[in-house]
Order: sequence, then structure tokens, then C-alpha cells
Amino acid sequence: MNRKKDKGFESPRPFKLTHQVVCINNINFQRKSVIGYVELTIFPTVVNLNRIKLNSKQCRIYRVRVNELEAPFIYNDPTLEVCHHESKQRNLNYFSSAYTAAVSAVDPDAGHGELVIKVPSELWKQGDDLKVLKVYIEFSLDQPKGGLHFVVPDVEGSMAERGAHVFSFGYQNSTRFWFPCVDSYSELCTWKLEFTVDASMVAVSCGDLVETIYTHDMRKKTFHYVLPIPTAAPNISLAVGPFEILVDPYMHEVTHFCLPQLLPLLKHSMSYLHEIFEFYEEILTCRYPYACFKTVFVDEAYVQVSSYASMSIFSTNMLHSAMIIDQTPQTRRCLAQALAQQFFGCFISRMSWADEWVLKGISGYIYGLYLKKTFGVNEYRHWIKEELDKIVDYELKMGGVLLHPTFSGGKEKDNPTPHLHFSIKHPHTLSWEYYKMFQCKAHLVMRLIENRISMEFMLQVFNKLLSLASTASSQKYQSHMWSQMLLSTHAFLKSISNVSGKDIGPLIKQWVDQSSVVKFFGSFAFNRKRNVLELEIRQDYTSSGTQKYVGPIKVTVQELDGSFNHTLQIEENSLKHDIPCHSKSRRNKKKKIPLMNGEEVDMDLSAMDADSPLLWIRIDPDMSILRKVEFEQADFMWQYQLRYERDVVAQEEAISALEKFPTPASRLALTDILEQEQCFYKVRMQACFCLAKIANAMVSTWQGPPAMKSLFTRMFCCKSCPNIVKTNNFISFQSYFLQKTMPVAMALLRDVQNLCPKDVLNFILDLIKYNDNRKNKFSDNYYRADLIEALTNSLTPAISINNEVRTVDNLNADVRLILEEITRFLNMEKLLPSFRNTITVSCLRAIRQLQKNGHIPSDPSLFKSYAEYGQFVDVRIAALEALVDYTRGRLRCVFADMDQISPSDAHKFERSSAELQWLLNLVQNDPTHYVRHKILGVLCKNPPFTKTTDSALCNEALVDQLWKLMNSGTSNDWRLRCDAVNLYYTLFGLTRPSCLPLPELGLVLNLKEKKAVLNPTIKPELGVSTVLDTPASIGIHGVGMSYTTVDEEPDPISLGVCGVGQPPQGLKRKAETPLGSPPEPGQVLQQQDDDGRGGRFKIRFNTMEDEDIDMETVHDSQAFIHQHLNLLERPSTPGKEPPSVEQSLLSMPATPVPSFAKETTSSSSKHGGDHGHHHHHHHHHEHKKKKKKHKHKHKHKHKHESKDKEKDRDRDNSHAYSNSPASGRSLRSPSLSD
Amino acid sequence: MADPAVASGGPLNSGGRGSGTKAASSPAENYHLARRRTLQVVVSALLTESGFESAEKAAVETLTEMMQSYITEIGRCAKAYCEHTARSIPTLPDAVVTLIEMGFNVDTLPVYAKRSQRMVITAPPVTNAPGTAKALSAGQKRTHPPHIPSHFPEFPDPHTYIKTPTFREPVSEYQVVREKAATQRRDVERALTRFMAKTGETQSLFKDDITAFPLIAARPSAIPYLSALLPSELELQTLEETDSSEQDDQTDSENTVGNIITDDPGADKENSMLPPSGVVPSAKANEDNMIDNPYLRPVKKPKVRRKK
Repeated sequence: MNRKKDKGFESPRPFKLTHQVVCINNINFQRKSVIGYVELTIFPTVVNLNRIKLNSKQCRIYRVRVNELEAPFIYNDPTLEVCHHESKQRNLNYFSSAYTAAVSAVDPDAGHGELVIKVPSELWKQGDDLKVLKVYIEFSLDQPKGGLHFVVPDVEGSMAERGAHVFSFGYQNSTRFWFPCVDSYSELCTWKLEFTVDASMVAVSCGDLVETIYTHDMRKKTFHYVLPIPTAAPNISLAVGPFEILVDPYMHEVTHFCLPQLLPLLKHSMSYLHEIFEFYEEILTCRYPYACFKTVFVDEAYVQVSSYASMSIFSTNMLHSAMIIDQTPQTRRCLAQALAQQFFGCFISRMSWADEWVLKGISGYIYGLYLKKTFGVNEYRHWIKEELDKIVDYELKMGGVLLHPTFSGGKEKDNPTPHLHFSIKHPHTLSWEYYKMFQCKAHLVMRLIENRISMEFMLQVFNKLLSLASTASSQKYQSHMWSQMLLSTHAFLKSISNVSGKDIGPLIKQWVDQSSVVKFFGSFAFNRKRNVLELEIRQDYTSSGTQKYVGPIKVTVQELDGSFNHTLQIEENSLKHDIPCHSKSRRNKKKKIPLMNGEEVDMDLSAMDADSPLLWIRIDPDMSILRKVEFEQADFMWQYQLRYERDVVAQEEAISALEKFPTPASRLALTDILEQEQCFYKVRMQACFCLAKIANAMVSTWQGPPAMKSLFTRMFCCKSCPNIVKTNNFISFQSYFLQKTMPVAMALLRDVQNLCPKDVLNFILDLIKYNDNRKNKFSDNYYRADLIEALTNSLTPAISINNEVRTVDNLNADVRLILEEITRFLNMEKLLPSFRNTITVSCLRAIRQLQKNGHIPSDPSLFKSYAEYGQFVDVRIAALEALVDYTRGRLRCVFADMDQISPSDAHKFERSSAELQWLLNLVQNDPTHYVRHKILGVLCKNPPFTKTTDSALCNEALVDQLWKLMNSGTSNDWRLRCDAVNLYYTLFGLTRPSCLPLPELGLVLNLKEKKAVLNPTIKPELGVSTVLDTPASIGIHGVGMSYTTVDEEPDPISLGVCGVGQPPQGLKRKAETPLGSPPEPGQVLQQQDDDGRGGRFKIRFNTMEDEDIDMETVHDSQAFIHQHLNLLERPSTPGKEPPSVEQSLLSMPATPVPSFAKETTSSSSKHGGDHGHHHHHHHHHEHKKKKKKHKHKHKHKHKHESKDKEKDRDRDNSHAYSNSPASGRSLRSPSLSD
Repeated sequence: MADPAVASGGPLNSGGRGSGTKAASSPAENYHLARRRTLQVVVSALLTESGFESAEKAAVETLTEMMQSYITEIGRCAKAYCEHTARSIPTLPDAVVTLIEMGFNVDTLPVYAKRSQRMVITAPPVTNAPGTAKALSAGQKRTHPPHIPSHFPEFPDPHTYIKTPTFREPVSEYQVVREKAATQRRDVERALTRFMAKTGETQSLFKDDITAFPLIAARPSAIPYLSALLPSELELQTLEETDSSEQDDQTDSENTVGNIITDDPGADKENSMLPPSGVVPSAKANEDNMIDNPYLRPVKKPKVRRKK
């Protein structure tokens, strides 16, 4: 535990950032490009600050100046391509460690960064008196693939008329994608943000809008924001678009923004935001920390909701009209989540990644309190149970989720979670699912803490944290004060102990410092003689994801005389616990039975065991342990529990348990619950499905009409004609949800032939037929969608006769009816689309189910058209799910018997393979990030094959493709890369995929030709490559082009960047390397003559001609900067710079800035760039570093070679390379030598 | 002898007018034809009288035309004379003067009329003019109420103002109504979608018979969220319609359903605390000047850049 270490916050950086200016003076929607500059005000904290490391990804950096002096810089992003040898390893373990190393190498929390700026030597002397440094960086982004998302609908009109907009997004620290910064949650500073946008647009960003000023030509305006509260860069965001503006009618400092035409929806959807505000401010006894709040609703959102300092970005699909029922609670929940994160997450930031759980925990916890207040205790407890079940299932399946990981010394070997196929050391290496579960566990643990110290203390702690932060935030320039705004696990625990005086150490140790959950098995016996309940509680703590629990556990026993709580102590060896019973007298006639809540009820006790006074027993009823309980009690006890226990969690547990007891008594208990209007509607909904299961289990003895039919008729059909449903009136939401659910559950009924009973199907068809929503004030789209789902559920596999081809003629009569409904629904949707196209979604699922069951020919083309970009996102996802299912479903039937593959099967296989390919292409190319993420997610959930099953799909080409995808194809989206890793894991497992041929030296996979060839060029280097394959080396060398197998589309990013690291030393450095040094990062070396070795390299510039950016814009912006900063001595702008070879060769620093290690002496690592040779003797670092250098040297050499090879092929494309957004330059910068 | 002339004199005028205005309704047409036929008979009789045994049809026709012109001219002139003297109905002297004017020796007329061999032409069968149709005898004709003087026009026929409630026994059976509504809607929907499918691009679930279950092809839209989120016009319309009945619904259901979902009271509360939702925006609009929201402030004109 290094918790003691984080007592006082120590910045990993040799400087402190106090203020940052971000100015984006041009946003071009047509080209999807952005131009701007940042200026960071930093205080060095060491005497000789010679190097500043910042984060920046995919930005093209034009120039860097420190205190108005040109500064050389180096730009290297090792995460672009994780493993840069075409190694044949293909082993996920290897990849994961390499990826972790790459992320670590630029981790701002460790003081690293992609951008290394050399402080001009003139300023070093100043360093003694620790003067302020201003780091000024000009940058641009061209078609960003991450960080900023442009939505530009392809219609007529101006950008504003088209509803074009752009917004920032990302998972965790992702601000570096759109401007250079210290992308850490623990580096706070104040902000000045300026955005110049078209006059018809609005730029919404963090902080207070100070003023909006037209530009001189009056065609644009500049939004000036000031954020006086110290804020971390990852909490900065931006949204620009032709937004409609709504000032909240209740709170004028809150402003809402939505896309054109959606204002009425925005008005309705935001009408209750003020209540959420009031709630949080009240419980936290703290005002909302920012002066204003903005909500922006954007299309193609990355996540449903993301919170930034004083603003939140939502998916526009959250908006709804007053007619929509189902979306309303969801939208409210999202708003509440967003607001909770404003307090904990944005205002209070985290000290390190290991402290993330505190923030997620607190925001999740107070969000839970909001749920409890707004939706009621039942809903809250139901939610807690749901979340608990989720985390328990996940941990039991995947292994533990660790909230507070500690890494001693950063050694890879001390992996606290060896069971996972990814590292949890960084947020960016986590699988998305794990992160969701992490958040879930965090808030559950907060609830456990609340259970322990009481809610009052809990809220006091929060209040204390907030007021400390609040005081700190108002301090100016005393940056050490600002660390009060950073929350650490330690500070949180200390605060708890101060406020409550209680020691929650064991609790923290159990749930926070340790992963896994507890699994209990309970059973009991009643000892009549002793009148004692002998309870046995066993634990499983050996299987994956489980841990041993020692401590108190609450057991509630409902006896005839009342309900009694017992606290038992779970100890190492004791399994049995004797609990004395209170009820001596058996069956006092007609006596009411007191319940836990004081209520007294009459019960029919005839079902009971005559000898025992026990009605039911519950273990850990308050869910105060993260556990799974499997408890055995008699069926009648579960039935009593269902009927009479008032806790919804108990009722739900009883329902799940009753599935195993298909008896008339269970049936009766469930039916009674269904009819009971006081009962929580979600319990009743669950009872529907349980009843269906029981009915199926009892099929031979079932009496009367199909389950739920008469009930439904009684509740929702006309009195006079029971086969006709009443016209819709959804004014009572409980009834509405029940009405929606019952047909869905009923359709799951099966008769003895395992078919859906005819009268159930007819009943559902009648419901559709007589559905009449004309007099309803609510939309019935969800109801109709559920009716289609019911039709889907009624489907059973077709009786297939010798693989006959499905035609219209041999269509089953029932299926024909179903198909007719679906066709009509789907067609009507084109004319009158439903909210969020719920009907289409249901129809697509139904069609896939029809195909899957062999009723209609299996054909993916329909789904493909619905999966296209341009369909509503829900529809796309549904279609993609069907397509994923198609790749899988096919294979299962085709390869059931591998020996009998007929030509037609082979054809089918080809189709499956083609579909999979189609999906993977979409993952790489789809404009919507969410869809890309979702495809991989769905593929993981429903994989075409897994590591344990055999499939013809599993072949080298696929391995290579996926490998490439996670290695370099997804470098602009942390989440997507982790998704790709997940898929790779699901398909191939941790080790080398079995379908690959055994590794052989010299064998190189050639993706392009899809075969393995002996590669003569790579052969001599193999020895080196294998040495280089150690993870430790990954972090320091840049991305080289050792990748000999170039894909059809070479990644310009990886090509445009070369390594940063120690210059070669001692090693048999190849003298042929031009200029004796690796190229300047960001520059693309191009050979002029054909001789690969001795050729001279010309440095290509990102000249404006090449870029195709309109020069005026750049010049304007440059001019603006000049004027603004009054910097007139500056040399010519990059845009005007002629691509002069000599000049640039002279001016460029010929070597990378060496060493990422913290050196305070600068002299050791300088190299005369002009002289074309190195002063190797300056390096007297430990051996390890030398080793790195050697490797690095090889990297570069390798890179050149591969580049040479590609050159001819790629010459035409070389412009693209030089335009690589990853390319950075320090043009005309003074040489590094002194 | 004067019979035909006199008999046809009046009608001629009206006939000429009728044809002149071309408003030849079908009875007028008939009348015209009858007159013409009569004239033909007269011409034929005169020819016979003069000793012709037969005549070509064209000759007869020409003579008839001449005869008609002559008579018409007499009528026109007579009318002109009479009107000249400020009368409205021509008298005998008018006709006489006319004949004289036309160069006809009036004195010969009585002799000619009384000639012995003249043929008597039977008057054309006069079909009883269909007297104004008897008004529908629906109820009693109303007399004037006392405050209306009796000289005012009488009430029109009762059928013009009496409403007779006519209805079949309404189909009151709920089941049938619902059945009918459902079937009708379904038929309309099916017809509409089939039509759309026929006229546009389609997708099919079956390869063998692409017309079996035609699906309107999915077309990507540039801004897909608009149609997916905004309520359709039909829904809005429905909502407006139900707005009036909403009140009843709510009271009904509130009586019957005890517990509405927890957030509903919240919504109610919100409404009760504030003016009804419809008023909020307008009230807000009035307040706009008072609301100090930076996004509502006017955009400033550019000025000389301040030095930082």
C-alpha cells in the first residue's frame, strides 16, 4: 500500500502549470480542420528546467516558443503503433505489456508526454530564480480521428443550415487529441478559452462566457471564455454548432443547447433539471461550484453523457417530447449523472488514476440518492440489486475488479490483476466493460461505507471535501493550495475517520484494496427440540473472482411471531450458526403475523411445515456485502417471501428462486403478485417471465387458459368483448409497463410440441390489430415495439426437411401472419417514423429471428442496408447485431460437422467470412465512434468463434487484421483499441492463436499477398528485432517502419513519425545513415536518388501547397497571433517558408532530444545538429539506458530501410505523409547545440 | 289561316332568343324542333295548295327558313313599334303597320284567310307544360308569426327549412365498431404501404418471389435524428385532439388509479408551482431583458484589439 505516499501531492513534473490559454481561431467544417494555439504559463520547480514535456496527439505543431524564443521540440507518440516490428508473436500478453509500456511512456501522471520541448538555453539562467515561462504552441488538426468529432450532414445549404457541428470527446485523458496540454487530472490551472467561429454558430465551452465579439469582417465571432476555477485539462471541452439556445426558465445561469429544430424537445426534456440541482445542492449543503452550467446535445455522441467543467455534452437522442414515457426516466437519470459528476469529477479532480474510484464512487453514490428521492425507495433498491448482480456476475466470470490498484515501483511483474488480459495500470488500457464495472463497484462500495458510518456522516464528508476544494479554488496563483481540489483515497479515508471517528479500514481493505466478491451458499435446518434454527453458511473463495469474507453478516428470520434480525459472525472455520427461534407457540389461531415494517397481516399458513415457525429467511438483506447468495429454502417459504415480504429485493429473489419450483402454488403466488397493484411494477414484470417459465415446466399439468391470458384480459381488455383490448390510455405508468411486458412474456409459453400455443399467438395478433392509440396522450411506440418482440418470442425453429430452400410457398401459416405484421410495421415506419425508430429496431430483430429459425432465407443484405451510416443509430446497432449474429449463426450450422463440407457450405462460409470482413471494415471506417465501439462490443458478446471452439474463420488473415487493428488501426480512440484487444482475447485468447503456423525465423507474413514468405530484407535484422521485443524498450523508441507488411493503406501517422530517444552510441551504427543521425521527428525523409544507402534525404515540408489548406486562413491566423501577442520579431511563418533544403538542414536539430530520464544536467545530451555527428561521450548513463539507445538506433535504421523500400510505391502518396497530423516540426528553431 | 302564324308568333320570339343565347336547355330544344316541324307542315300545306305534288327536302327546308325569317321579322318589327310608343305588348295596329312597312297588302289578308281551298292544320299536340313541381309537402306551411306583417312574402316551402333527422339504427355494438375501425385502419395502412412499395425501391425477404412481402427500401438520411426524435405530425395532431379530452381522462384515472409513478407527482407539482407550461415561455420572453445570460447578450462589434 503506498497510500501513505500520496499524503501530500507531489507533482511528477519539474514545473507547475498555472494558466493556459487555448485559442482556436479557425474551424473549417468543410475540411474538418482546426487551427489554433495554446499558451501555457508554467513555474519551474527545479533550478534548471531544460525540458518541458507536454501531451499532444495527432496535432500538427507548427512552432513552439518559450518566452518568445523559438524552441526546438520533438514529437513522439509511441501509442500510434504499439508493436512496431512485424513480429510473428501475435500474442496478447506481449501486446498488452507493450501497450502498457507505450501508454506509460507518455503518461502525464508520470511526468511524461508526447511532446518534448527544449527550453532555449537563454532561459536556463533564469531558471535559478524560478521565473515564469510561457510556452506558446501553434498547432492545427486536420480531419481529427479522435478528440474532436465533426458532424457534417450531407445536405444543401450553409454549414449552419445543415446542422453541422463539432464537439470534443474522449475517454478519460483525451484532451491531448485536440490541443497540446498537460493531459492529467492532477494538473490544475485556470483557463482562458477563445473560439472564433462562423457568425451563425455558437461555441460552447467551459467557464464563463465573458464576451462575444465579431471579427473585423463581421462574418465570424469570437467567444471568450474564462474559467477562473483551477481545472484539469481533461475536463475542458468544446462544442460548436448552430445551436438553438434555451436559457433555463428556473435558473438563468443554466443554458441549454440543442441542434436546430429540436428546441421544443429541449424545453420539455430540460424542464426538471432544476430539481436535480436543488437536490444535490441540498444534500451536499454546497452551491454548485461553477458560476454557470451548460448542457449541449449533439449528434453522434461518443457516450450518452460526458461531464466537463461547467458543461456536459449529451447525446441528442436523450431529447424527447412529452408523449414519450420510456425515455423520460432515462434522460433524467443521465442528467442526474452528469450533474453529480460536476461536483465530483470535474470540480474535484483526482490525484492519480488509483484514486479514480473515490470520484466515481461518490458521484455514483449521490446519483443513487437522487434516484431514491425521485423514483422512490423501491426503484433505488431494485437498482442497487441490479448493480450488485452485475458486478458479481462480471467478477465471477472475468475475475476481480480492483478499485484501488497500487503499483510498487512500476514493475510490470507486480501486476495486481494477473487474471485480466489487459493492464489496469492506466485508464487507457482498460477494457470498457471493466471500466463500467469499476464504476459500478465504486458506488456500491460507497454505499457500504455509508452503511458503516451513516448517511449523515457521509454527506458531511462530502461537504467537507467540497468546501476545502472551494476554498482552494478561490486562491490565486498559490498553486500548492490547489492540490486541495485533488481527491485521493488517502484524503478521503482520512476525512471519513475525522468526521465519523470510525475505522473503516477493514471494509476498505476488503473491497477497495482487494478485488473479487464473496459467494455464499446457505442452507438451514430447524431443530424442533431446541427450537433453534441451524443455519449453515458456506463460502466459495477458491474460484476466480471470489474472496473470503470474514466479519459480520445480517440474517433476517421471519417467524410466526414476527421478524427478527440476527447478526452472525462469519469466521474462518465456523460454518454453522445456531439462531434461537422466538415463536414457541405454533399457530395461534387467527393471529395476525407482524412483518418487519410493523405491518400485521393475515396469512394462509396451511402451506407451512407444521413443525416449524419459520416463514422465510434472508441472508444479508441489506446488501451490505458485495456477494452472491445461493440460499436453499423450501418452495413455500419462497412463496411466503414473495407474497408478504415488503422489500422488493426479497421479492425479486423469491421470484428467481421460484423458477425452480414449478408447482401450482408457485403459480398462484406469482399470479397474485401480478394482480396486486400495490406491488412494485418491476417485480410484477419479473413475475411475468417467471410465470412463463413455470408454465412451460408444468406444461403437461397446466390447467386453464395459457398463463397471464385471463389476467391480461381482465386488466386491459374490454368488459363486453374480452378479445379486444381497450383503447390505449397510458396514464398509469405501472399498468403501462405491465401491459407492455405481459405479451412479451406470454409469447415465451410453449405447448407440449414446444410450439407457442395457437391462442397465445392469435391473442397477440389481436392486440396488434385492435391497438388504438388515438385517444392517448402518450405515444405507443414502445408498446408496439414490445408487441413485435412478443411475436419474435413466439417463434420456434421451423421443421426443416432436408435443407429445403425457404420460399414464400412453403411458409408456415402462422409465420405468414407474423411476417405480414412485421412487413406492415416496417413499411409504416418509413412513412410515420416512431420515436427513436423503436419499431424498426424490433422488426429487424424479428426478421433476424425468423431467419435464424429457418422460416425465411437467411440473408444479410437487408441488415446491411439498415446498418449503413445515415440510419438512426439505434437502428444501425440493431442491424449490426443481426449481422454479427449472421456470421455466427451460419457457422454453427455449417461447421457442426466439419467432415461434411459441401460446396454450398463452403459458399456459406465465404459469405460469413465476407460479412465479418464487412463488419471489420466498418470498425475501421465508420464515421460514428459509438458505432465502431459497439460493433466490437457486439462481436465480443456474440463472437463468431472463441478460443475454445474451432472455426474455419479463424485463420491467419483474420489474426493479422485484428492485430493490425489494435496495434495501429485504433490509435485515435483509447476505448476502441481496448475493444479490439477484447475481441482479440475473445477470439484467440491470451497466447499465440492456434491457427498461426509455428514461428520460424525469417518467415514474414505478407498481409498484402496473404501469404507467408521468406523475406530476405528482414532476415539480417531478425536477431535484433527479437532483442527489441522486450516491453521495456517500447516506451522509448518511436514508431518506426519496421512493419514490412504494409497494408493497402499505409498509416500516414505511423510513417510520419520517428523515434525519440538516445542517439546511437558505440553500436555498429551504420554509417550509411544519412547525416549520421535519425531524422527529425515529424519530418518525412525522402530519397532523392535511387540509391537506397548513400542517398541524400530531402526533408519535406508541410507546405501549404501540399496541404491544400487555404493559405489565407493560416496567414490570417498567424497575423492575428502576431498582432495579438505583439510579437514582431518573429521570423516568417511556416506557411510562407519556402521548402528550402539547405536552410532546413542547417536549422533542424539533427538529433532527437535525448533521454526521457530526469536529467538535470543538460550538457550531456546535446548534439551538434549542424555538424552531423554526435558527442557520444557525453553519455554516461547506466547501462540500461545505453541498451535503449542501441535499440533505438536500430529502430531508426530500420525505419529508413523500410522507408526506402516503400518509397517508390508511395512516392505519389508522400504528400499525405507529410501532412500527417502526427508530424511535428520545429522549423527554423535554433540548434540544440550551444 | 292566321292560326299557324299567330300560334307560332309568340313562341318564335322566344325560340329565337333561346337559340340566340345558346342556352338551349333540352326542353327549349324540343320546343324549337316542334315549332320548326309545324312550320314545315305549313309550308308543305301551302305547296300542296299551290298544286305541288312533291318537293325536294332542301326546297322545303329553304322555304321553311324563309317563312321563319319572315315571321320573325314581323314579330321583331311589331315589337319595335310597340316599344317605340312606350308599350310593352304589341297591338294589332303595330302588326298592321309592320306588314305595311314590309310591303304587304294588308287588305288582301282577310280574303286570303277566307279562301276556300285552304287546308286546316291541326294544332300541334300541346304537351302540358310541366307546371312548377308541387313543393314537397313536408309538414305544414308555416304562417307568419304575429310580428311579421302579412304582406311580407310567405315562408318558403317547409322542406327548405325543416330538417328531418334521418338515421339508421347506429351500430352500437362496441365489438363491431372496434373491429371495423381496426380493419379499416389496417386496410388503409396496407394499401398505402403496398402502394409506396410498388412505386419505390423495395427490398425483399425472399429470393424466389420478390413481390411477396415487399419492404420499402431503407434509405439513409442526412440527418437521421430529426425524424427519429421529432414527433410526427400525426402524433402531434392526435395530441391536440386529445388535449380537450385529457381533462376528463385525468380525473377519471386519478379517481381509479391511486398511485401514479413517483415522478408524476413531481411533474404536477412543477405545474402547480408555476404558471401552466404554456405561459412559461411567454413570461420568459417578457423577462428576457432581465435575464442576464451571456448567450443572450448582443455580440459586440470588433474594436481595436486590446494589448494583452
